Amino acid sequence: MKRILPFIIILVVLGAALGSAWYLTRTIPASPTVPNQPAQSPASQGSPVAQQQTPVVQGVPGAEPAHVLGPADAPVKIEEFGDFECPPCGIFHPILNQMKAEFGDKLQITFREFPLVPTHQHALAAASAAEAAGLQGKFWEMHDLIYDHQNDWKKEFDVRPIFEGYAKQIGIDVERYKRDMNGELVAQRIFADGKRGHSLGVKGTPTVFMNGREVPFENLPADKLRVVIQNELRSSGK
Amino acid sequence: MKKLYTVAALLSLVGLADALYLTIEHVTGQSVRCTIISGCSAVLSSPYAVVAGIPLAAIGAAAYFTVFSLAILTLFGYHWAGLLMRGMVITMFAISVWLIYLQAFVIREFCQYCLLSATITLALLVVVTLNHRLHRGN
Repeated sequence: MKRILPFIIILVVLGAALGSAWYLTRTIPASPTVPNQPAQSPASQGSPVAQQQTPVVQGVPGAEPAHVLGPADAPVKIEEFGDFECPPCGIFHPILNQMKAEFGDKLQITFREFPLVPTHQHALAAASAAEAAGLQGKFWEMHDLIYDHQNDWKKEFDVRPIFEGYAKQIGIDVERYKRDMNGELVAQRIFADGKRGHSLGVKGTPTVFMNGREVPFENLPADKLRVVIQNELRSSGK
Repeated sequence: MKKLYTVAALLSLVGLADALYLTIEHVTGQSVRCTIISGCSAVLSSPYAVVAGIPLAAIGAAAYFTVFSLAILTLFGYHWAGLLMRGMVITMFAISVWLIYLQAFVIREFCQYCLLSATITLALLVVVTLNHRLHRGN
């Protein structure tokens, strides 16, 4: 018995390891896929889209006025909590742009700052830069530049000169921008957005709400988000 | 002597669980959303997280399993296993140092679970070295 006991122990551990790995890789991606997904739209045939069973949430208000694109009476309102340094947010940025191009005035987009400060060293600076540009009415221009060039600045030691370059590029008053970036107003806006995020239960980025319901993370790729928006449009009857 | 190998076996079990967790994160892509507590998404999605198409975390899991097996075999009197284990742990430690260097200076993000793995490997190195000393002392 003593001769085979070590091999039994080893086999048991191997079995437990492989078994748990098999079990967890099977259950983790279990998104609530809808078996009777209405097959009316051709786009919904591609990949299953999790049904929106998340509750409608209110939360405390964020920074006012919020950064909003699109008409106030748009049937689908998307609110994104983003961190400019977060790679999946960088990936989501062009997807949202694509949705905007496809759905036009049916879509309203709000961006909320949610810099993950201990995780990302430049996230707060990036949020401040976008907010400072926003005080001169160029939030979205700065937002686009920072996201588009995420890979250019995120590994730099000092990102401020790079963001100042963007400020010049979008044609705002750079001296004022530099003052605003460290100013109280910008800090308050980021704080308010963060408070709103926490009140909505935002834990990571990107977190996206559509008409007050959280869109599951696995539905953020373009082909799935498109279906989610189409479903939302259908249910709103527009 | 025996106690040290038991400690080594237990440590490698923790390492195995940690590496398995990272492998699952890697394979299922659950770590893709950024959160306050974890820099693992940047680390796991970096090109260094895959070696020849195999997730590095899976290789780590295999290594911890091997160390566990060798520790158990040594405990049951297979002395050759102790020697192999020492070589294995020294190699794993060298790789861990390289991975910490990558996290600190190349990826510039730290993944807590990767750091835990490095800590376990360091502890294993200490155990193995102590063992070696005791062995020579005898």
